Formats: sequence, structure tokens, C-alpha cells
Amino acid sequence: MLTVTDLTVVYPTGQPAARGVDLTVAAGEIVALAGETGSGKSTVAKALLGLLPAGSTVTGSARLDDVELVDRTGRDWYGIRGSRIGIVPQGAMTGLNPVRRVGDQLVEIVRLHTGASRPAAIARTVDLLGRVRLPAATAHAYPHQLSGGQRQRVAIALALAGEPRLVVADEPTTGLDLVTQNHLLDLLVDLRTRSQVGMLIISHDLPALRGVADRIAVMYAGTLVESGPATGAAHHPYTRGLLAATPSLRRDVAWTSIPGTAPARAELTPGCSFAARCPWTSGTCHTDRPSPVALGPAVVTCHQPSADRPLLFPTVAVPPAPAVPPAQGRQPASPDPGAGHGGTRSPEADHGGPRAGSGAPVAVLTGVGHVYRSRHRRTTALAGVDLRLSPGTILGVVGESGSGKSTLGQILLGLLRPTTGRVEVAGTDLSPLRGRRLRAVRHRLGFVAQDPYTTLHPAMPVADLVAEPLRIAGVPARLHPDRVRRALHLAGAPADLLDSRPDQLSGGQRQRVAIARALVGEPVLLIADEATSMLDVSTRAGIASTLRHLADTIGLAVLFITHDLGEAVQACDRIVVLHEGVPVQQGPPRDVIDRPRPGYPADLVAAAHRHLGPDPVG
Amino acid sequence: MTTTSRPARTRTGLGRAALGRAGGYLAVLAVALTITFLLPRALPGGPLRTIGGADVGDLDPAARAQVVAAYGLDRPLHVQFGHYLADLVRLDFGTSFTGGRPVVQAIADALPWTLLLVGTSLLLTATIGVLLGVVAGLRRRHGRGNLLLAGVLLLDAAPAFWVGMLCILFFGVHLGALPTFGASTPGHTGLAAVGDLAAHLVLPVGVLVATGIGQFFLVTRFSVASALHAPHVEHAHARGVPYRRVVTRHLLRPALLPVHTQLMMELGWLVGGALVVETVFAYPGLGRLTFDAIQGRDYPMMQGTFLTLVVTVLAMNALADLTYPLLDPRIRARSRS
Amino acid sequence: MRAGRVAGGTGIVLLGALAVVAAVGPWLLGTDGRERVARPYAPPSAEHWLGADDLGRDLFAQLVIGARGSLGIALLVAVAATTVAALVGGLAGLVPPWASALVMRSVDLILALPFLPLLILAAAFLGPSLGVRAVVVAALLWAGPARLVRAGVLAAWSRGHLQAARAMGASAWYLLWRHASPVVAPLLVPVFVRAAMTAIVLDASLAFLGLGDPTLPSWGTMIHWASVRGAMLTDAWLWWALPPGLAIVATVTALALVGVATEDRLNPTLRQAR
Repeated sequence: MLTVTDLTVVYPTGQPAARGVDLTVAAGEIVALAGETGSGKSTVAKALLGLLPAGSTVTGSARLDDVELVDRTGRDWYGIRGSRIGIVPQGAMTGLNPVRRVGDQLVEIVRLHTGASRPAAIARTVDLLGRVRLPAATAHAYPHQLSGGQRQRVAIALALAGEPRLVVADEPTTGLDLVTQNHLLDLLVDLRTRSQVGMLIISHDLPALRGVADRIAVMYAGTLVESGPATGAAHHPYTRGLLAATPSLRRDVAWTSIPGTAPARAELTPGCSFAARCPWTSGTCHTDRPSPVALGPAVVTCHQPSADRPLLFPTVAVPPAPAVPPAQGRQPASPDPGAGHGGTRSPEADHGGPRAGSGAPVAVLTGVGHVYRSRHRRTTALAGVDLRLSPGTILGVVGESGSGKSTLGQILLGLLRPTTGRVEVAGTDLSPLRGRRLRAVRHRLGFVAQDPYTTLHPAMPVADLVAEPLRIAGVPARLHPDRVRRALHLAGAPADLLDSRPDQLSGGQRQRVAIARALVGEPVLLIADEATSMLDVSTRAGIASTLRHLADTIGLAVLFITHDLGEAVQACDRIVVLHEGVPVQQGPPRDVIDRPRPGYPADLVAAAHRHLGPDPVG
Repeated sequence: MTTTSRPARTRTGLGRAALGRAGGYLAVLAVALTITFLLPRALPGGPLRTIGGADVGDLDPAARAQVVAAYGLDRPLHVQFGHYLADLVRLDFGTSFTGGRPVVQAIADALPWTLLLVGTSLLLTATIGVLLGVVAGLRRRHGRGNLLLAGVLLLDAAPAFWVGMLCILFFGVHLGALPTFGASTPGHTGLAAVGDLAAHLVLPVGVLVATGIGQFFLVTRFSVASALHAPHVEHAHARGVPYRRVVTRHLLRPALLPVHTQLMMELGWLVGGALVVETVFAYPGLGRLTFDAIQGRDYPMMQGTFLTLVVTVLAMNALADLTYPLLDPRIRARSRS
Repeated sequence: MRAGRVAGGTGIVLLGALAVVAAVGPWLLGTDGRERVARPYAPPSAEHWLGADDLGRDLFAQLVIGARGSLGIALLVAVAATTVAALVGGLAGLVPPWASALVMRSVDLILALPFLPLLILAAAFLGPSLGVRAVVVAALLWAGPARLVRAGVLAAWSRGHLQAARAMGASAWYLLWRHASPVVAPLLVPVFVRAAMTAIVLDASLAFLGLGDPTLPSWGTMIHWASVRGAMLTDAWLWWALPPGLAIVATVTALALVGVATEDRLNPTLRQAR
């Protein structure tokens, strides 16, 4: 139905964003186009719909049935966009017209593409809402009255309104919690089955798509590196690396990262674009561009594809895992912290694994709760949190957005005063502290925030950024250079970054600078609030591995806040599951995964299993 | 989370919000009253001059004390304030120095003319300003949009009274096409009278509109240009909605919401502009009254017109406030919570 | 981009020229514009370029000295209003919520008052000296900008790098100085420009209504006397009422050009859209 051949897109700046992409989507088929930031996957989607910025050049061909999509301009798209190809745009949740009712927006698109009368279009709207499993009354709602998942369903209904042959969905689940993501993916499968519409789903979340799509295509640096059946084995080292970079719920499955960073655009290197990061490179990889090779039903663009050759990517040093980054002073690890006694101790007494005994706790929270008050409403953000953070251990806090996990971090930093309970940091009770003395406590804590693109002041060079906590704490300036260099080293950031500014760094490098900045004050506790969630999948494990290394070598205590259960399992010694502000389960990772409490923990674990799909092959 | 937006809850929410706003208006009124009360008493010569007229200042001490007692000026300030308020409640603004008629009567005669002038101008200013702003916002990158911008800025910079004087010269004296003086010509009846009223409005309204559209234009242009790349606009393009329809249905309504706020801000300015324009065209409204009061140092009249203008602006603000939630469903939701 | 730069450049050049006239001009004149130097209602001549008014005072001298008055009050008011706005808005994130709410309520209150009528009342009662006018205008004009600055400061507070510094234990002053002020400071340019424009027009309107300072020639006062003494009925409007009006238009337009140019540069959405 859709046949893309040798599609190449060059942006007005002259940079190629996609090169020689071949892709097909059959009627009733779901094809996933996966890749990381800058891989060109969204560019391909935009090219199919003529939504590229003016001045972009598109060559090659993309045919939908008998219609050529390339080389159309302006009015040529009438009758195609929205009617033959429906789109669920990126960020569709925030892209509904805020001042018109959902029903009116649906009726508009239905009438536009089918020419139906108003009563007929209203009837169709009710039908469409039913197909995306929303009640008919949704038609009377304004977008702000709906949840993110509901708005995404409306966006899907809008894509279906013109009865298209093909639906292109750009990151349709990004920004939603896991359970909602699963529901949405189920919905897409169901829609495909019932209406025989073809679907092209663009996503960075490769494992999630394996359970949904019929076929998967993976892009890297503007080129298609591999495509094949979703359930088949992966052959390209990048595809396999990407799968292995997704944290499994099983600690015996290694969590790896791909070293280096992806080029921001499709650079015209003479050889394979992945060669710089590939563990298997040989001479030809650097000199000759690989051509697509058929391996059974799959097509792989690699000089030496293999589904079983060991990957040799660095992995996170989970205690029982074999591959460990070199580290001095690493204490012998027991096979699995808490394995023998999980679930039998009370949550409070059971703090941390074997390495936790190496010192007094650096932070103790007792019965901590927080209630936000606005004029007419009280919102409980946290209730009854008992935690103990010990040197050398990583404590994971897992929860979806709104679960109170960030509130917890703010309370530890003394930025928020808990409404109930007691917080003790480094032996000091925070509650009587005010002003200067409260701020002094923060000098002993390190904080790494979620978004390295905003937390680093864009005009400051790395040296100044990392030295900022020292400046704030009043450390004499002559001591700064040494401590900055040491912190950068500990954070795994190359020292030659010192003079760079944030916009010259990749996301992963930025986050390492942020970690260095958190370390420079020699803190007793590092709070990492979703520190990996903005990063490309392939670099996340690297950050976690650095944190593990710090815990082991300098005995740092880490509070690792995340929405990703798999990450928590791989990175932490203990996990606290937060739901609506309440710690619903606490214990070693294996306990939480194997014996989740009924209710939210069980749902979360089930959703995570379901989301990760079949265990990665390779 | 939910799709419910039941009218009953909406109403109580809006009611509460309206109550809060009403409190705000009362506060403004209280401040205005305090200003008019205190200003004469802050004068070096005391308030006597402003109450009895210039000649009272030259009285001998005994007679002076008599006048002071008669006006209650020897009482404590708060008592005086009480009397002052009581007089206002009875709509007693005092007596004009010039002509000796009650201030309230002069105001009652003048107010309808000002309302007519300001109302017409506001309507036209908003409409034309927004239309031009939309055009310039959509064509932001084109020469024509910039030309429009330059023209509007130039008009915006010109003082209304000066433009008014030039208009009199050109349309009145040189062309003789339009009346340049007053609000009506006596002797007309029926349709002719209406036509006569309209003809007298053309120049004052024209000047107010020409010098007033600047802010509407700028706010609209900025808002439209910013909305060009809003997600819901780009997504409407992606769904195949034709350009014209994207603009009218998806871009404009959310983009024009800030203009409504501008409407309220503009009221105070328009009233100020009306004051000078009425003076230029000898239009028999509050502005003319104020100008004459300034010339004759007629303090009670000045206070009266000022308070009337404050109340007028507040009333129009309230009207705008009450209509805003009809335009933005999100505000309806917010006032509910 | 280029149109914006041309506009801003034109505005700055024009303002610079006006400032030079206001600063140096009066020194070069032979008269202070208040004394009788010619026949009343004299038409322009080589000696008196714009002729004389009804009292035989040189109109060109009044125009030049008027520049000083207009730019002076614009500068005074703009500096005062911008300073107050920056202080009040800047403290938004620091002071307790009730204080912040109080300030915002007073801002709403001031914005709801009709400026010109209030100004007329104040000038009528307190006298039309430059100081009184400047104080009253500034007292009214800080409110709108304060709201703008406050919005900017609050937006700056929510920025990641500021929150990060806060988590490092930075004091409020450090945050305001190192992180918030670089974000907010550019906002003050349009604020300053708008205040200056408004001050000029308000002040001229006041003078036109006959509430100008009688001891100091100003553009508004010139137009007032032109109107009152019947210059509009003869050719005298050409050299009596037209030049001061044009001077006001030129000054305000120059300011507006600078303002529009900076505003467009500040808006990231628009910058991207280019």
C-alpha cells in the first residue's frame, strides 16, 4: 500500500536528515519506525505528509497506492493529508484547539474529508469516539477537561475521521504513564484489526513496539539500519544495543549502554555511520558504506550483521552481573542484596543492602507527609513516608507523574517543608532550620534534575557551571579548578569539556556535567530526579553505571527517582514504590518484581512486563 | 480527568469570581473617592478656596471662620469624610462656581454625549485595530505587514488633540465637508437629526480611532504571529484543514483572547483621549465640561467629572469582565476550582 | 530581522538627535522663549524661523526648549516607573505570598483608574510644576510594567538553571542577581520605552488642556496657545501648531521603533518563526 523507495530529505540548511530510506506498509499492517533523537524518523513521517519546513528537498519516491507523495506542494495535498493519510502528530495531546469542544473539532475534520452533512458528521463523530473507546459525552468536553490519555484518543479519532488508508502516528505514547501507554497501543492494534488501516508508528521506544507492530524498522543517523518482523531476532549491532539498553525487570539480564553519542544529523561519513560507536568494527566499516543485506525476512544494513555475536557494550554494574567497570576500593558484593530476607522484615528496619552498614544513615525521613494547599483545595502529595538513606547504597523511588516522587526530593533538599513528619539530613533535623543554616545543608547534598537542557545556564562554560556550588558555598576560588576537575572525572565527563558551553554538548554529556556539579561540593547524598528520562535510551545505562560506581568507590548515598521500574531494578539496591503520595511497597528490587503487593505495585509490574514485551533476543 | 462541566457548578464559581471582582471595583472607587476628598485638603491654602471659590481666600479672619464652620471644615477629617460620602450618596456633588448650577445636573447633561463618543470609538477601534493586527500578524515577514506597522505606529504616536486640530482645518475649514463643532445642529427632526448626530460624530470618533488603534493592533499582531506555530495550528494543517480555515477556526480565536484584556486596558486611555478630543471639537460631553472647569478653576466640577469618569470606566470594565469567560472555556474551568 | 534592525536603528538615531537638541539647543538660542522679541503673530522670517506667538515670543526657541521639557519628563518618568516596576516585580518571588498579592491588587487598582482625568485633577489641585507632573505620572505608570516584570521574574524562577542553583543552597539574592536578572533585564527596555512614550503624550495632553507649567515653554503648551489664540483660523497654524505636533510625533515614533525592535527580538517564538 505505502511504498517508500530511496527517500532522501535535505533540510533548507543543507543538512541531510534522511538518506535512502526504503519502507513499505501493507493494508492492515502496523510498521514501527524506531530510533533515537536525530535519527530522522520524524523527518520521514513529515516527508510523507508534506510537513517539512519550506525549502527542504525531498528525492526518491513514496507511493500510497497509485499516488506519489513526493514533490507535492501546497494545494496538491488537499485530498491526501487527512483523508488518505491520517496523522497523530507529535505532542497531539497538547495540540488540540483549546477553545473548541472536542465534538466540534471532530465534526470539522469529518465534514472536511467526507463532505458529510452536519447531522451525518455528528453521527460519525459519536461512532469515532466509540472506536477509540471514549464515551459519546466526550464530544461536549473541551480539551483541558480531558486527561492526557483521553486527549490522545481524541487525536487518534481525528486521524481516523477522514477514513484514511494509512495512519501515521508520531510518538503516540510519549509523555503518558505506562498503563495508559499500554491501553493506547492495544487500541491501535484493535483499530488496525477492525478497519484494515495501515499504520506507521514512529517511536523511540523500541521494546514497547515489538509487542505491537508486525514489522519494525530502525533508523540511525538518517539511515535505515535494519527492518524485519517484530518478533524476529535483531542483527544490527545498533538494534541489539538499543534493545539491551532498555532495562529489563530481571537483574540477570544486563543493562548496557552504547558508548559515544549519535551524530545530530545524517553526516556524510564515508563508511558506516554507526562505525564510531560499534563494538565490532573492522577496516571496511570506516571506509565503505554498507548496503542492505537480506537475512531471511529481515534486511540489515551492516558489513557484519549477527544475531548472536556478543555485544561487548559496557553494562551497569549490578552486583551479580559479570561486567564491572574498573573501580578501586570496591567492596565485595553479596550475590543479591536482601535476597535472603526480602519481605520478612518490616519496611523500616530493612534499609539497604549489605553495603549499607558502612556508616550512619545520611538521611532519615520519619512519617513525612506533604499537603499542598490552594484556596479551595488540599492535595496530598506525600503521606507516611519512612526512609533511611545509607552511604554506598542507591535507593530507588518509583512512581508515575503526580505520585509525589519529586516532592520527596524537594523535601530532602529543604526546598519544601513537610507538613508532617521529621527529616534528618547528615544528622541534622531540618525542621528548625531557616535561611542561611537551611541553605548550608544543601551544600552537603547534590541534586541532578531531569532536564539537562534547562538546568545548565546556557551562557556559562562548563568550568563555571561545575564550580557554581563552590561559589555559592563560599569556597575560596583558588580551590575551584582542582575540585572541578576531580568532579568531572568522577562524573565520567572528559576534562576537555571545561571551556565548552552547554549547547556544544550532547544530552548525555550535559547530564554528566550536571552530575559533576552535584559532586563538586563533596556531598553525602546525591538526589537524582529523573536524571535519565530526557536522555537517549542508548546513553541512560551509562549514567546509572556512573552512579553505581560513585556509590561503590566514594560511598555516596543516592536517591534515584524514576518513573521507569526497569531502571530502578537495574540501578538500585532498594526500591520504594510511590502511588498517589503513599509508599505502597518498599524492598529489594527482586522482591518488588517477584512478589508485588496487590493493587498498584502488582499493576505496575504487570504493565512493565507487558510494556517490555518478549525478552530481547541477543 | 473528567468530561463533566456541569452548569450548576460553573455558575457558583463564576458567581464567586464576580464577587471578587466587585470587591476590586469597590476598592478602586474607594481610592478615587479618597483622592477627590484629600486633594483639596492637601492644598497650601486649605480646602476653602476649592469650596467657596477664589474670593473666599481674601476674607477677613472672622468671616473666614464662619465659612469654615459652615462647611464643617473645623471637624475631624473622618467626620468630614463621612459628610462628603453622605453628600455623594445623595448625588450632591456641590454647586458649580461658574453659572451656579448643581454639578450633578451638568454631568447628567454631558454624560450621554461622552458615552456615545466613547462607545462608538471603542467599538470601531477594537474592530479596525484587530483586523489590521491580524493581517500584519499573518504577513509578519512580508513588506506589507511592516508597512502597516510603520503606519500604525506613526498614528499611535500622534497626540489626539493635535490630529483633531489638523482635521478641523482640513475637513472643516478647507473642505467644509463635516461639522467640526458641537454634537448637533438645532432644528433637525427625525432622520435628519440622526444624520446630523452621526455627521458630528465622524471627526471626533475618527480622531479617537486613528490615534487609539495602535495598542489593539500591536497586541493582535504579536499574538497572531506567536500563534502561527502553536501546536494546535500546525496540527490542523497536518490534518489537512485548508489554510483559510486554519486561520479562521483554529488560529484566531485563541490568539484573540489577549485582545479582550487589551480592551479593558484601553478603556481608561480612550476616556482620557475623549477628554481632549471633546475639547478640540467643542463636543458637549464630560471632556468639554472638564476643560471649562479647568479654565474657570471650578473645583467641584472637576471632582464631579472625575468621579463620573471613574465609575464609567469601572462599569465598562465590569461588562468586559463578565463577557470574558464566554470566550475562553479554560477560564470557566479555572473559576470553578 | 533586517526590518527590525532598520527600525531600531532609525529610532535610536532620531532619539539621539533629539537628545542633542534638547541638551545643547537652548544654549545656542538668543532667547529663552519667554520674552517678547518680535511683533505678535509675526510670520516666519530669517531672524525668527517660526515667527512669533501672540505675545511676540520666538516660536522656534519655544520648540527647542520644549524638547528639553518633553524628553526631560519622559526620562524622569521612565526611570522612576521602570525602577519601581523592576523592584516591585523583581521581589515577586522573594516576598511572602500575601505581600505579593497585596502589590498585585494595588496594580489592578491603579490600572483601573483613568489616567488622564486623574492627572488633570492632580495638576489642577497641586499645581502644574514639572516635579508634580512627573511624580503623578510615574505613580500611575509603574503599575503595568510591574505586572510585566513580575511575570518575567516568575517565569525566570521556574527556569531549570535557577531551580538548580536553588537546590545548591543559593541565597535569594544570588538567584535574583546571577540567574533571574539576566533573563528579566532585557524586558526592561520595552518597559522603559513605553513609559517614556506614555509620559510624553500624557504630559502634552495636560499642557494642551491648559495645565502646563506656565513658566516653561513646552510642545503641548504651544499647541494650547495656538488653539486658544486662534492660530488655526489663519496660516499661523503652519508654523505655530504644526511643528510642535510633528516634534511629538517624531519623538514618540522614535521611541516606538526602538520598543518594537526590542520586543520582536525578545520573543523566542517569533525569532524561531523567521
